[in-house]
Amino acid sequence: MRAFEIMVYRQVKRFLRARSRVAGMIINPLVWLAFFGIGWSNAFRDTSIFGGVDYLTYLSPGIFAMTVFNQSFVSGISVIWDREFGFLKEVLVAPASRKETIAGRIFGDSAVATIQGAIILSFTMLIAKINILGVIPALGVGFVLAVAFSSFGVSIAARMRSMEGFQMIMALVMLPLIFLSGAIYPIAFMPSWMKALALINPLTYAVEASRVLLTGVSGIFPLHQSLLILLILTAVMLYIAMVSFERSTVE
Amino acid sequence: MVEEERMYAIEVENLVKKFGDFEAVKGVSFKVKKGEIFAFLGPNGAGKTTTVHILTTLLKPTSGKAVVAGYDVVEDAREVRKRIGIVFQDPSVDRDLTAYENMLVHGGVYGLKGRELKEKIEELLKFVELWEFRNKLVKFFSGGMQRRLEIARSLLHHPEVLFLDEPTLGLDPQTRAHVWSYIEAMKEEQEMTIFLTTHYMEEAEKLADRVAIIDHGRIIAEGTVEDLKKLVGSDVVYLKVENGAECFETDFGSCVVLPDGRIRIDVSNASKAIPRIFEAAEKRGVKILEITYHRPTLNDVFLHLTGREIRDEGGNLMKGVIRARMRR
Ligand SMILES: Nc1ncnc2c1ncn2[C@@H]1O[C@H](COP(=O)(O)OP(=O)(O)O)[C@@H](O)[C@H]1O
Ligand SMILES: [Mg+2]
Repeated sequence: MRAFEIMVYRQVKRFLRARSRVAGMIINPLVWLAFFGIGWSNAFRDTSIFGGVDYLTYLSPGIFAMTVFNQSFVSGISVIWDREFGFLKEVLVAPASRKETIAGRIFGDSAVATIQGAIILSFTMLIAKINILGVIPALGVGFVLAVAFSSFGVSIAARMRSMEGFQMIMALVMLPLIFLSGAIYPIAFMPSWMKALALINPLTYAVEASRVLLTGVSGIFPLHQSLLILLILTAVMLYIAMVSFERSTVE
Repeated sequence: MVEEERMYAIEVENLVKKFGDFEAVKGVSFKVKKGEIFAFLGPNGAGKTTTVHILTTLLKPTSGKAVVAGYDVVEDAREVRKRIGIVFQDPSVDRDLTAYENMLVHGGVYGLKGRELKEKIEELLKFVELWEFRNKLVKFFSGGMQRRLEIARSLLHHPEVLFLDEPTLGLDPQTRAHVWSYIEAMKEEQEMTIFLTTHYMEEAEKLADRVAIIDHGRIIAEGTVEDLKKLVGSDVVYLKVENGAECFETDFGSCVVLPDGRIRIDVSNASKAIPRIFEAAEKRGVKILEITYHRPTLNDVFLHLTGREIRDEGGNLMKGVIRARMRR
């Protein structure tokens, strides 16, 4: 377990060092909350489409999940930087289990992403009607979500040979998955093709679960069902990441 | 294999590595004795790093066999990894961590912890004279300091066999001498086997017990520095002559015209040969403008074997490293 532990330490330490980068990652969701959230909140007079809460409150769990998702996916994919800057070789030449090492990195990144989610959540509590008791469980959901998407990032990075495809992957993954998760508008009103895509998006289940926990508004799944599906998808994604990393070489 | 009987730290047989159609390593074989410093000397692109990556289990060979510290690098990669340390050609330190944290993370990846780890880190950071900078972020370190940190880090888990891939690439001469002194001290104190690659002749001459000269993926000569120099003869004479340089018949040894227009003659004893060279030149009506001689270096050996010099491309490589860093 030593390699796991030390990788968690490394990721958290690096995060604490890079304060300006952290500030950069937090500004984006705050802009969404402040301008998109408050703006539409005043325009939507009929709250019944959002389960009876104002739009800002409805959006808040979505922005929380989005923050965790963005941060964890970017950390996962930054394994490419490790390849570029040599740390990956350090790990590959060591006798420690590669599965364990990468799992440590993923959990460290997930802790970091969850901390960022918590920062966003504390801002949200000032402006939206958040159920305080739901905060801790929602952070738990955030952590699981983070494991899912840092794993996804690692799996992609393990297959990439250069930074060339990076921009395209970001464009293909980031915004579409957010729009297809019910973070910004209810899944119930989506056309059926979009709904089908939303249902295979792990982010959907994290958004649904944290919305129930933080605002009491339920979506298309009961809480226990969202949680179960999220956990299963996360376990599968983590396993794929561990196997992909095990096979990666420096070539 | 019984530990006592094993004489060799590295045994390589007919190692081949292809990248697609391109053969980077074309069947090299060599043995490195326990406790010696063995150097791979060759120009850029000769296949040194590729060989090191195979021996350290990072790349799979296309064919051939390599045994390091008693274990096969393909079949028993994990056992090999436990027994080796490496300083990569390109920087591999964690720039956002301090020197101390870099050591800590490395120790952790090798399963070390607690007091033992802390003491070892202190000992090694003192050894490379970085102890007073232990809490400084590595991104503020100079190239030489980073290199020293990498050397300290590679020793943390006390490897049996240490690989140093161009350990002084891009360092200024003073820092280079400094790093050499650590490598010599390491050999003395830690009793480990060191496999070193370099394209600096002086580095191989200074440090290596035995040298293999590698070019275009093949070992073209191997032996102690003395053995290799004997291939050239004992001295080298350079002539600058008026009008077109041309090798005139000599009975001294091999003679080549260098790209810069000088003539090079390998002789067994320069002070005896020079008067006879003057005589021979006069007979042919060739006017000698300048004559110099020196004891042969490994560069002369390389020249003798390949007709080319080992170019120093350190400058270009450094540009590559800097470019890589800027991209972050
Ligand atoms: N991953 C790779 N794919 C294709 N060619 C490679 C790869 N790695 C190295 N080479 C080529 O193999 C040759 C030997 O490279 P290398 O082992 O790095 O040489 P050295 O370390 O002696 O400078 C070079 O021509 C290099 O371009
Ligand atoms: Mg090299």
